[in-house]
Amino acid sequence: MTPKGPRRPGVRPAPPWSFPVPTVTELDNGLRVVVYDTPGQHVWSLRLALQAPLAGEPVDLEGVGTIMARTLDEGSENYDVEQMAELLERRGVALGAGVGERGLVVEIDVTRRQVTGALELLAEAVLRPTFPEAQVRRHIRTRLAEIDQERTHPGQRAAIAFAAAFYPATDRLSRPTGGTAATVERITREAVAAYHAEVVRPGGSVLTVAGDIGAVDVVGEVEHALRGWTRGSLPVPPAAQRPRVKRSSIVLVDRPGSVQSEIYVGCPGPGRNVPGGWAPFPVLGYLMGGSPQARLDAVLREEKGYTYGVRCGFRPRRDGGLFIASGSVRTEVTAESLGLLLDILEAGRDGFGEAETAGGVDFLCHTAPGRYATADTVADEAAQRALEGLTTEHTTRVLQDMRELTPKRLRKAYRDWIDGTWTSVVVGDASVLKKSLRKLDRGEVTVLPC
Amino acid sequence: MPLAYDIVDRTLANGLRVVVNEDHSVPVVAVNLWVGVGSRHERPGKTGFAHLFEHLMFQGSRHVASGEHFAALMAHGGRLNATTWFDRTNYFDTVPKGAFELALWMEADRHGWLLDAVTQENLDNQRDVVKEEKRQRYDNAPYGNALNNLYALVFPPGHPYHHPTIGSMADLDAATLEDVHAFFRHWYTPANTVLSIAGDVGVPEAYLAVEKYFGPIPAGPAPDRQPTPPLLPSKAPAHLSRVEDVPSGRLYIGFRLPEDNTADYLAAASAMDCLGGLTTSRLERALVRTEELADYVSAGSLGLADGVSLGFLVLQAAEGVELARLEERACALIDAFADTGPTAVDMEAVLAQTERSWLSGLASLEERADAIGHYTCLYDDPHAINTYLDRLGAVSADQVQQAASEWLRAQHRSVVAIGARGDEVSVEDEVEAQAEARASGSRRAAGAEGAA
Repeated sequence: MTPKGPRRPGVRPAPPWSFPVPTVTELDNGLRVVVYDTPGQHVWSLRLALQAPLAGEPVDLEGVGTIMARTLDEGSENYDVEQMAELLERRGVALGAGVGERGLVVEIDVTRRQVTGALELLAEAVLRPTFPEAQVRRHIRTRLAEIDQERTHPGQRAAIAFAAAFYPATDRLSRPTGGTAATVERITREAVAAYHAEVVRPGGSVLTVAGDIGAVDVVGEVEHALRGWTRGSLPVPPAAQRPRVKRSSIVLVDRPGSVQSEIYVGCPGPGRNVPGGWAPFPVLGYLMGGSPQARLDAVLREEKGYTYGVRCGFRPRRDGGLFIASGSVRTEVTAESLGLLLDILEAGRDGFGEAETAGGVDFLCHTAPGRYATADTVADEAAQRALEGLTTEHTTRVLQDMRELTPKRLRKAYRDWIDGTWTSVVVGDASVLKKSLRKLDRGEVTVLPC
Repeated sequence: MPLAYDIVDRTLANGLRVVVNEDHSVPVVAVNLWVGVGSRHERPGKTGFAHLFEHLMFQGSRHVASGEHFAALMAHGGRLNATTWFDRTNYFDTVPKGAFELALWMEADRHGWLLDAVTQENLDNQRDVVKEEKRQRYDNAPYGNALNNLYALVFPPGHPYHHPTIGSMADLDAATLEDVHAFFRHWYTPANTVLSIAGDVGVPEAYLAVEKYFGPIPAGPAPDRQPTPPLLPSKAPAHLSRVEDVPSGRLYIGFRLPEDNTADYLAAASAMDCLGGLTTSRLERALVRTEELADYVSAGSLGLADGVSLGFLVLQAAEGVELARLEERACALIDAFADTGPTAVDMEAVLAQTERSWLSGLASLEERADAIGHYTCLYDDPHAINTYLDRLGAVSADQVQQAASEWLRAQHRSVVAIGARGDEVSVEDEVEAQAEARASGSRRAAGAEGAA
């Protein structure tokens, strides 16, 4: 053995891998129960995905879905708020619920021996919530405080400003998922109960269960717990048609005294059902902004030292999607950083090399077994695909297609969407930034108060 | 419930401790290195150095170019990073089984021969990156420095946990290449490092590969590990108040707790859960749900290895509620819990929730390898992941009450109070009202000031 140590070892090829295959049962009420047996996973993850598009919220009550999600476990027909809290804690249940563009996901993580008790509480929360007046009022107040908090956090403020600048005001996505102060203030317990009655239906819903199933009769347990749930399915409104943004623009949100500027840049991107397939887009996001050696950070972080890191990626939506790049940079170099960032993104139109392509494909394909190794990650993936009307067969197919990607196909996919028209948001000290951002000539600069 | 993860523990001739957990459930291996150096080992004038040094570990070593560690492993399907904390620095790579040896080779290269590649240019660049990390996480974030302030209140000046891991801008500026060399030679020795491996690799194969790549690293002296004398609870309350441009006031209430990995710490951490960590906890129930003085309450226990740990509560005041009033009610509830201790239901809840979160953590190979490294590096106990829940289950309600009574009384608290914008006015009002009250001798005026 030399003092310099052993030679660099090679890498053996990874065995083929596909997403775990579930057993699927459709119950009489239309609910699909999708079960993944993942041996060794002693904590089970349950995800109930309900179709409830944001666009279906009453316009003057936007955020009602979020308040509904947060008050599901604040009291039910059989348990008051304190009893519910106590049962959840004693059974070691982690219960959460969140709302997205397409719907509501109610999540439960619990050890296997407590699954029956957890399903009982899931049924209480989802089928029999009472939305006590005091708890609804409290959550409305908390949401209003949260809206104020979001305005002071640079990253969240940037995302809110981007949505408002990018989407037309008629589009639900131009406003926060959880509603604005004006709409949240109007929400009542009756409105929450009415929205619940409208959207919580078994038809079109999917309950995913992942864990070390062993001999447990999951479908039988679910049927027993959710018995009496029979209210059909919700007609899903059509997705909005979105005109393409034609001109670049910069929104500067004034946050006096900021020692950094938050940059948030985007343009239209594809939906997951894009012709030609979704496979190129995770790879492109990774190559541009998914690691310290990706194109953005290779310059902005590793060469210049302007940022702790800039990330980017394609984000599918119901109709079309987004490409977003974001990160924070030192105040003095804000305009220069924004210019560099847009230049680097646009240079992607010139294409990607063989080695670069192979590295991106291998990262995404070969990390998949590890990324989907636990019950919660399996269940999360299945729930998200379910809301899109897909299954995890789609996940497997995208990974298979990814292995076939060529530099040519990557280049075409990138050029289909990245055309140099950008909606840019900068959250920072306008007194320092205004002039230099105007000089950058990357679109008209509008200054907003924080 | 007894857990039975297979753990094999050996030490190489150069002093490197290697712990292997074989698990073939997915074709992936987690490689994890804990180095026994963190911000608590930093000397005055050198704060933030352990973390800055961690960044330099990605900028190349004898056979690896700057940035290649990330680039090469990620291109083969690796997910990797590193973190620095008070007691330690950890480096971790989760790779497909076919890239296991490459990950070991790359880790061995930088843990053995980093200094061949360190340059002034890399140091300057990563110093800038770390400064942006500090600005992003702390200086430009609402409430961003509150916990850093709390460490400085809870632990006395000069104590290892008094300063935060991110350090100060001035000290980062002062770091030199010579510091990098001295730090590496002193702390980054095999005897001060634990390598844990969890995943799809056989035990013999794992040890053969580790011997091949890490065996040639020179032994070097083990760093001196003189413990700091344990701290007792603070004798009197300490306060730091300021107003920030935030919409809601917050209280960060800190307590010293016993050293981690002891029955006393488990009891005190359970008490923290009963106070603020569960939906059924005392503060959550009273302050959030019943009296509606707070928008939310959270509790955290930060187990530390050098003679003391930290427990903290975060309370966000509901609109119109003064921080002083919120603190007063919180203190009353804290003292009441110290007097009465937990109920049987509290104990059942703490155990059930901890069991779930502990098992969830161990479900992932990378978290399991990290937990093994943690307990082996800091407490010489590679089997701790199997016994932790039993040790927690052995803690009685009486022990929790005793721990609360000793460590978690209001008199022992340190408080960082962040007032919301606009509160400056009410502070002035309060001063004026107090002056008026003193002048008039009116108790009514003194009462009215609280509502102003």
